[in-house]
Amino acid sequence: MANIAAQRIQREFREVIKSEEVAKCHIKLELKNDEYTELKGEIAGPPDTPYDGGVFQLDIIIPETYPFNPPKVKFITKIWHPNISSVTGAICLDILKDQWAAAMTLRTVLLSLQALLSAAEPDDPQDAVVARQYKEQQSVFRQTAKHWTYIYAKGPHREAELEAKVSQLRGMGFEEHKARVALSTCDWNIQRATDHLIS
Amino acid sequence: MKVKIKSWTAVGTWEWVSNDDTCGICRMSFEACCPDCRTPGDDCPLVWGECTHCFHIHCIVKWLQSSQQQQLCPMCRQEWKFKE
Ligand SMILES: [Zn+2]
Ligand SMILES: [Zn+2]
Ligand SMILES: [Zn+2]
Repeated sequence: MANIAAQRIQREFREVIKSEEVAKCHIKLELKNDEYTELKGEIAGPPDTPYDGGVFQLDIIIPETYPFNPPKVKFITKIWHPNISSVTGAICLDILKDQWAAAMTLRTVLLSLQALLSAAEPDDPQDAVVARQYKEQQSVFRQTAKHWTYIYAKGPHREAELEAKVSQLRGMGFEEHKARVALSTCDWNIQRATDHLIS
Repeated sequence: MKVKIKSWTAVGTWEWVSNDDTCGICRMSFEACCPDCRTPGDDCPLVWGECTHCFHIHCIVKWLQSSQQQQLCPMCRQEWKFKE
C-alpha cells in the first residue's frame, strides 16, 4: 500500500478511537487487517429517526490512492433508507463520490453517514423503491425503517403488526427476509406482496 | 528586582506559520516533510493557496492531479489558486 495512505489511516484510526463521539458510543472503528486497508465501522442510529437505538455496521475499504480518492464504504447491516440500497448496502452520498476532499477523514465520513440517516435525500436515491415510499407514504416508510432497525440493527422498537405479517408469509413457505422485502416493497399489503413473491 | 520590557524585536521563529500545524492532506506535521520525502526543509516546501490554506507542495499537487473536475482546495472547497 502506498506510503501516504497507510500512514494517514494509522493517524486517523488513532484520531477516531480517541474522539468524543467514540466515548459517547456514537461511532466506532475497528481494523480488519494489519495493513490498514480494511476496516469495520459502526454508527449508532440518530435519535428522533426510525433508526434510533440501532447499531449499523459498515464495511470500509481504503484504496491505494487514499486520501486522493475516497474510501469505499457500504452498509453490512441491512437498512431501509432512500439513499442506501436495501439489497447491497451501497450508499449514495456525494462525499463518497465526486465531493470527496483529501482533507476529509474516516471520522468525518462516519459522522456524515450518521447525518444521512437523519436527513435522507429522496431526490437522489440509491434505492428507488424506498425513495418512492419515503415520498408518498411517509408513515409507512417510518414504520418499515423502524421494523428493519429492530430486526437487523438490534433496535429497541418492535412493530408487532408488521412482524405478524412477515410470520403470515413465512407460514405460507416463503423465506423470512424475502417475505420482509416483498412486504416492505408493497407497503405491507399481503396480497400484493404474495403476488410479488410468486411472480 | 523587576524587569520591564521596553521594546521587543522578533528576530525569527522556528515554527512554520500556517492555519494549523499539520498538513490536511497527509496529516503530517508541517515541521516534518510529506510521507513521500525523507528530509524536511527545502526538498518538501509548503505552499499556500489564496484561501490561506497551507499544504506540502507534493501533497497539494497530487490532490490537484487526482481531481477530475475543478481544482478545489481540499479544506474549504474554494477554487485552488497558488498564492504568489
Ligand atoms: Zn502533506
Ligand atoms: Zn514531500
Ligand atoms: Zn482552502
